Amino acid sequence: MADVTLTVDGKKITAPAGTLLIDACRKAGIEIPAFCYYPGLSLQAACRMCVVRIEKIPKLQTACTTPVAEGMIVATDTDEIKQSRKAMLQLVLANHPLDCPVCDAGGECELQDMTFKYGAADSNFVDVKNHREEQQWSPVVYFDRPRCILCYRCVRVCGEGMDVWALGVQNRGVSSVIAPNGGDHLDCEECGMCIDICPVGALTSDTYRYKTRPWEMTHVSTICTHCGDGCKTTLGLRSSSDGMEIIRGDNRDKSGINGDFLCVKGRYAFDFANHKDRLTQPLLRNAEGKLVPASWEEALTFAGQRLHEIRDTRGGEQIGVIGSNRATNEESYLLQKFARSVLGTNNIDHHRTADYVSFAKALAGQEQRAASLREAETAPAILLIGGDPTEQHPMLAWNLRTNVRHNRARIYVVNHQEIKLRRQATSFLKISAENYSAFTRFLAGEENSIFGAEATALRETLATEPNLLVIFGSELRGAAIEALVRYGLSLPDTKFACLGDYVNSRGAADMGLYPDMLPGYVPVQQPGAFATEYGERFPAAPGLDLPSMLDVAARGNLAALYVVGSNPVHRYGVAAASLKNTFLIVQDMFLTETALLADVVLPIANLYEKAGTVTNTYGDLQLVRKAADRAGVRTDLELIVRLADTMGADVHALVPFGQGTRADMGQSRGAQSGEADRHAVWLAAQNLEPKLSPFDPSALLDEIQRLIPSYSFSRLELFAGNDQHVQATSKNNALVQISNLSQRPDGVLPSMDTLFTSGTMGRYSSKLTEVHDSRNKEILVAAN
Amino acid sequence: MSIVRDIASVAKGMSITFKEMFEPTQVENYPDGPGPMHGAQFEERFRGQHVLQRDENGLEKCVACFLCAAACPANCIYIEAAENTAEQRISSAERYAKVYNIDYNRCIFCGYCVEACPTDAITHGHGFELASLNATSLVMRKEQLLTAMPAQPTTPTLPK
Ligand code: SF4
Ligand code: SF4
Ligand code: SF4
Ligand code: SF4
Ligand code: SF4
Ligand code: FES
Repeated sequence: MADVTLTVDGKKITAPAGTLLIDACRKAGIEIPAFCYYPGLSLQAACRMCVVRIEKIPKLQTACTTPVAEGMIVATDTDEIKQSRKAMLQLVLANHPLDCPVCDAGGECELQDMTFKYGAADSNFVDVKNHREEQQWSPVVYFDRPRCILCYRCVRVCGEGMDVWALGVQNRGVSSVIAPNGGDHLDCEECGMCIDICPVGALTSDTYRYKTRPWEMTHVSTICTHCGDGCKTTLGLRSSSDGMEIIRGDNRDKSGINGDFLCVKGRYAFDFANHKDRLTQPLLRNAEGKLVPASWEEALTFAGQRLHEIRDTRGGEQIGVIGSNRATNEESYLLQKFARSVLGTNNIDHHRTADYVSFAKALAGQEQRAASLREAETAPAILLIGGDPTEQHPMLAWNLRTNVRHNRARIYVVNHQEIKLRRQATSFLKISAENYSAFTRFLAGEENSIFGAEATALRETLATEPNLLVIFGSELRGAAIEALVRYGLSLPDTKFACLGDYVNSRGAADMGLYPDMLPGYVPVQQPGAFATEYGERFPAAPGLDLPSMLDVAARGNLAALYVVGSNPVHRYGVAAASLKNTFLIVQDMFLTETALLADVVLPIANLYEKAGTVTNTYGDLQLVRKAADRAGVRTDLELIVRLADTMGADVHALVPFGQGTRADMGQSRGAQSGEADRHAVWLAAQNLEPKLSPFDPSALLDEIQRLIPSYSFSRLELFAGNDQHVQATSKNNALVQISNLSQRPDGVLPSMDTLFTSGTMGRYSSKLTEVHDSRNKEILVAAN
Repeated sequence: MSIVRDIASVAKGMSITFKEMFEPTQVENYPDGPGPMHGAQFEERFRGQHVLQRDENGLEKCVACFLCAAACPANCIYIEAAENTAEQRISSAERYAKVYNIDYNRCIFCGYCVEACPTDAITHGHGFELASLNATSLVMRKEQLLTAMPAQPTTPTLPK
């Protein structure tokens, strides 16, 4: 739109026509206070804090509802305006409790800031304050009514933003009150967006209430460890007797790919780290067959020696390795390198939650066809086939809803279930669960319609959409993905996104946790540069995938299995007896079903307790910062290196460390966690890179970048905490066609997580379990 | 000339000395003086070891707002907050200090904490004999800082 020029406080500013005055001013660095205005939500004009004087208009105007106009002359900072704002504050404070010393918002409260700024500390009102008891509305949401200033942000974010509409207003005028949909409780998605957006301490969360104060915590922004969207979450930490404890997850650093958003998991489900069953000591199976605590030295030496022995007597093909969906890229890369170059086996796999291999193959040779998560917020049209973003990709669902609200994007939903996003959709087509594959062929025009007129109409509409964004769930695999991509590529400028389940599912795939694929989806049969990189132990033939490894183990032919951060026994329903002839090493946080069967259990750090990078399911690469710390656990990276060391492998060949700058990075100082990151930013800015110890992930990142050409990104951006989009394969690194790739079993087992579950780890989050159970109780009650 | 001036100034100085010799003693005879204070005398506003106060019902006044810790220039106050429950009520607000430590190795008795406290919970008492051969004993816990429970908590009398 054309630009208009206006004068604000004597300063000429330009803004596109239609911009709100408040936004135009803020953009020009002129501060306008606001309680009720929130960018992206509908306008409310309830608080009158944003009043300004516009020439030729008799009364003060609200900047949050006035669009800019050519030649407008505005004053924002006169005595009259200050007086007006002060009076508004005094009215708000008339019935506001003197709670600041105990209020959770104290120290980051917008009302405190305003009162301080406009000097409204004195009151002209003498009425007795109207006290109300605090109410608990749900396992996470508390409401303290007297503190509410009726800005209606919570109502709008829950309704417009979340499409939950769980909060509303009762009564009118001074007796207005925010009320939950369940009468005295909330039936909602428990996202905590209302708490986050509340400018005061009226809405508070159960996890953080009355625990500490904002300035007492250390704040570290890192990546949520749950779903495949990879939101940035800022963890509030305080030191505890055995490390650094997370006491709050929130979104105060809105710089992440998720902007304003976090779901219940990113916000509250960090408490698994403090679960009482957390392992903090290695365990060894003793002569009586019991798992007993052991020292690190004993456990690692024993595990290393046994692996060494098995490799030398029974060969690498008798060893299996299972990787993790939640480990960093560096760890996944190192794990497969360890398997291939030290153990000498291609029997490496992970719990696959989406068919990234077929996706990479279908897109091979194309450039810029994979979409970033950010594009879901801007694409004019979206085709969503399968998946249920509201439950499994809450951030994606948020972006799609926002896109519809702000840009009137058209969403075409094709699903076998009536997913919630159909409420925002332009059209919803229900197909049966078996028909996804046929539907993709139908779209590609390769099959006659079994779908009826509605589907044909959809195909015709889609043909008119330039810039279509195609997002598909894990229902689509192998040939279906290829057909869908073929179809998409026949339209102009189509982009694609493939939905996998966990924080680094995509990273695990990109890093080559496959028996037949090397990092960057290079087939094992044509290893290229990897042939020399991975030494003479690297086998030429593809290995066994996860289900085959378990089968072979059940037949007694798998001598050893090394499981890192995964629970295949539960996930694949393995009988305990089938692993009795296998030497089992498990690295996990808890005694999971798999760990219970192990000969050696090594306690590990979770994603919040280590540094590295992760790639979300769309290919957005982000930095993971070490936030929490727990005495007695070690990172997967460290354990893999130590295991290799006890096996007598050349650690320098495994991790290219010790070639960069040498300095004390503070990594040894537990409580000073994050120190290394701060140094790293400085070093990166000086073109120096810290590669100090074999446990330093950035040394491995070098190798990843060297060997996977599509992982091209700026280190500076990475260390600055920005997300960068990487492609699965680069143009020059087109997948070599293997004739039988389409016959290759995709091995995908969707995790079927909901908003309130998160694999095995989710079971150890007390808050998530509590929310989950309270929800189920409601459903039970409703059913009766 | 200069000799006369020198003698005059010495005489002036010595006159003060001799005058003071016959004045009553101002020095406190601490620690050999009489009484429990061993001869020490306090001004009312002397800033000694802190005392954490209780309200008229015997509840702790501290609500764990962390403002004293924030104000303290020596960074010597450590607090852990916890929530009052119906069964266990420690302070009169929602929150109380589960842990409240002052590290007297570092405290400079500036009184900023007292000034910052919104509930008048922390005050300076007159305790000053803090010296110790063991530095760890100088980190005082809440139990050491709290004022004694009033013998009979005064129940507020309701108007009939
Ligand atoms: S909402 Fe803000 S002003 Fe009100 S009691 Fe809490 S901190 Fe104080
Ligand atoms: S937690 Fe989320 S869904 Fe629930 S009321 Fe708040 S904003 Fe709405
Ligand atoms: S609860 Fe908070 S966000 Fe909601 S209206 Fe009150 S002050 Fe605003
Ligand atoms: S949407 Fe996914 S990544 Fe974001 S907070 Fe929720 S679980 Fe975490
Ligand atoms: S007196 Fe001063 S130094 Fe001592 S605890 Fe109080 S604020 Fe800190
Ligand atoms: S921000 Fe404009 S009225 Fe509230």
